[in-house]
Amino acid sequence: MGISGWFKLGGRSVFSWAFTFQRLTGIVLLIYLLAHLTYLTSLLDKTGATYESMISLTVSRQFLIFDLLLVLCGVFHGINGLRIIIHEFGFAHEYRKPIIAVAAILIVAVWLYASYVMCSLTGG
Amino acid sequence: MAEFRVRRYDGFRSYWQSFEVPAKRGMTVLEGLYYIKENLDSSLAFRASCRMGICGSCAVKINGKPRLACETQILFLGDKITVEPLENYRVIKDLVTDFEGFFAKHKAVKPYLIRKDENYEEPKELLQTPEQLNEYYVFTLCIKCGACYSVCPAASTLDSYLGPAAMAAAYRFCADSRDEGQRDRYEVVSSSQGVWRCHLAMECSEVCPKNIEPAKAVQMLRRSTAFSILRGILGW
Amino acid sequence: MRVQHDIVIVGAGLAGMRAAIAAAEKSSRLSIAIIAKTYPIRCHSVCAEGGTAAVLREGDSFDLHAWDTVKGSDFLADQDAVEFFVRECPKEILRLDNWGCPWSRNEDGTIAQRPFGGHSFNRATFAKDRTGFHEVHTLYERMIKYDNVEIYPEYFITNLIIEENTVQGVSAIELKTGNLVFFEAKSVVFATGGAGRLYGFTTYSHQVTGDGMTLAYRNGIPLKDMEFIQFHPTGLIPSGILMTEGCRGEGGYLLNKNGERFMKKYAPEKMELGPRDIVSRAMWTEIIEGRGLEGDYGPYIALDLRHLGEEKIEERLPLIRDAAIKFAGVDPVEEPIPVKPVAHYTMGGIHTNVRCETPVKGFFAAGECACVSIHGANRLGTNSTAECLVFGRVAGENAAEYAMNAKENKITEEAMRKEESRIYDELLGKSGDESPYQIKRELNETMDKNMWIFREESELKEAVKKIKELKERYRNVEINDRSRGFNTDLMMTIEIGYMLDLAEVVAIGALKRQESRGAHYRIDYPKRDDENWLKHTMAYYTPEGPRFEYIPVTVTKWEPVERKY
Repeated sequence: MGISGWFKLGGRSVFSWAFTFQRLTGIVLLIYLLAHLTYLTSLLDKTGATYESMISLTVSRQFLIFDLLLVLCGVFHGINGLRIIIHEFGFAHEYRKPIIAVAAILIVAVWLYASYVMCSLTGG
Repeated sequence: MAEFRVRRYDGFRSYWQSFEVPAKRGMTVLEGLYYIKENLDSSLAFRASCRMGICGSCAVKINGKPRLACETQILFLGDKITVEPLENYRVIKDLVTDFEGFFAKHKAVKPYLIRKDENYEEPKELLQTPEQLNEYYVFTLCIKCGACYSVCPAASTLDSYLGPAAMAAAYRFCADSRDEGQRDRYEVVSSSQGVWRCHLAMECSEVCPKNIEPAKAVQMLRRSTAFSILRGILGW
Repeated sequence: MRVQHDIVIVGAGLAGMRAAIAAAEKSSRLSIAIIAKTYPIRCHSVCAEGGTAAVLREGDSFDLHAWDTVKGSDFLADQDAVEFFVRECPKEILRLDNWGCPWSRNEDGTIAQRPFGGHSFNRATFAKDRTGFHEVHTLYERMIKYDNVEIYPEYFITNLIIEENTVQGVSAIELKTGNLVFFEAKSVVFATGGAGRLYGFTTYSHQVTGDGMTLAYRNGIPLKDMEFIQFHPTGLIPSGILMTEGCRGEGGYLLNKNGERFMKKYAPEKMELGPRDIVSRAMWTEIIEGRGLEGDYGPYIALDLRHLGEEKIEERLPLIRDAAIKFAGVDPVEEPIPVKPVAHYTMGGIHTNVRCETPVKGFFAAGECACVSIHGANRLGTNSTAECLVFGRVAGENAAEYAMNAKENKITEEAMRKEESRIYDELLGKSGDESPYQIKRELNETMDKNMWIFREESELKEAVKKIKELKERYRNVEINDRSRGFNTDLMMTIEIGYMLDLAEVVAIGALKRQESRGAHYRIDYPKRDDENWLKHTMAYYTPEGPRFEYIPVTVTKWEPVERKY
């Protein structure tokens, strides 16, 4: 089936979707990491001009929505990752449904809180 | 009346075909397929044998989910039923898929008891308490229907991945108190086609018709493999 | 295409796989092929539930097991074979234990045993209620360990090739490609199972169509005692799925509509644990006399397990509970299971001696398709899986021994051409106006109606007439699917041809046997007649229908007496 096996729509459980998003958010975070490293590398320019020009591109109110999504990716990847680690040791497979529910609630809660903080920081 | 939409394949092209099947209370999807074969289109190919959910022949995708056709009641699904072959296998004809690779992988993990003191001519009774039996018993229930492998995203991107059923079989023997062959099996399953390829989509546990939790078996196997490697490094 | 092996085993159930292991153990230089029309673990043996008989514990004895078996067989079993058989059983249990079979255990770790119908000691060794399933998987897993055993799954056998009374090999269709493959072998073992799909209401898997029996029969090897078909007392309604005798072994009751344990009238001592023929007849009598319960699918008897409690049912009979819920919508913890007698086992089969040899050199048979005979007129529960293990081994060893001393065989070009044209031109290419499935339906109806538990002359005659008519119509069948790859239409049509031949043998054999013995009960001859009928039926193939001969039963220790339970 190839890679389409990761993304097919019908007949999949929530665990399988969690797997798909773990992969996707992983890729997003990887891209972010590369961008982040690029920014840091730009500090090699001692005048700071390159850094400033890059920052001005991405640190803005209009860009906030992407930041929020990035945080969502990070929160999802982290919390879902912890969930997977629990199961990876062979624990709690019988309770996988409640655990994924708790993980989902945590993800939303942490993200909402983070969003609130970020919004108020940029707003204030 | 129930409408069966069946995914067919004749070796050259793949197409959908619809059949009207008179569905009674208690009738299974397998009986529906037999009805089609015997009355509507005898060229329909599917596998079936025991019709009581223990031989593992008739796993197909019913309404998008792999199930045993013999255990699935038509009326629980409504009056529209789609039947397709399992994914992650090559289709031979209609609902029949190629299981050669699946069984080869099962064989590769050495799914048999390994003992040093074996005596074919004069076998001795080995002792095993009910508790020791329960340690692995659930994993002996695998009927090798292949449903788990068909939904495994790791298998869909790597043909040579051992897959949940084979590794559940490996774990079943590793956890058997009578077995002495753990190391042999760890060697096979810790290869790049083995336990480390599992990324916990857990779809196998969700679709397993015998509820044996293959995902758990793979993780247990991963744990014991990891400890075994660690012990090897530390020289214990 | 030709394939060469020293030994070819047809059928990958318990007996076939046990034979393969035995032959492989004998010599690692032998090349062994095991061919089957399903994958090995999809065989019908997985449906065996209750247990496997073996003398393992203090208090039991070989003589007691043998006596139970002989008495159960209504004295038609060959007692020398039975005595050999019971001595071999325990070793097979222990071998399976050593190979990883998850036998149910006692608290002290020893292998557990439970009571079973017709046995006077608790000697049914079991793995929950999935005994056959675990045995098959254990044997399969063991078998793949041997490098000299090659598995040919999904090969459907079309002929047995014999020349000058010596076996040459078999021909089989490779289902995946549709090609005819000729297996040349020094010795051939048939372990192809029974003929239960002759019946409509049956516990058998769809694949059990008596292929091997018919091929042996058509090639001149006699079929023995085919009129004895066992009816298991407890088949789930409506599908016929087996509800193991272990249900009663664990203490379940059979109740009629008055809630009465009616078995006290028929087998006061053993009650529900009488042998299967007696319990089935009792249940059918209750139904005929109007004391059955009424359900959507006609009258039935209640199998009540409620008093065992959920814990014991889950521990000992999990499969039964699961099947009852899934297939009948009844949870045995809360409601009795609706059951009635169901066609379950073919006591007869290919005539072999205790070494599993048939009259043809190099050709062996074991398991349900063979008739040694240890089951006589009625098999005891748990003796069939035991038979497969014991005689599977015997067949494998003897086939190996024979192959080591025999010369290469060759299937002639002419025989190959003939078989190819028979399958592809005469069957696949032919046009006609009969549907094979209609013929099968009518055959099933006839068998269910006329050849059931109670038989009588007029009905049997009607059955013979009907079967002859169906055979005539079968000449005119048309196979719609003309393709080669995985042509199950072709396979099923050939199977139906096999079944018609067997049905004829069963029906005429039953018509001729004018007595009641074991599972064969004639309303017009309700007594056992040892003077005239203490003998085995042997059916030989002729183009006009079977020709019958009779051979004596071997009696060693136990003279026939009246059978009381």
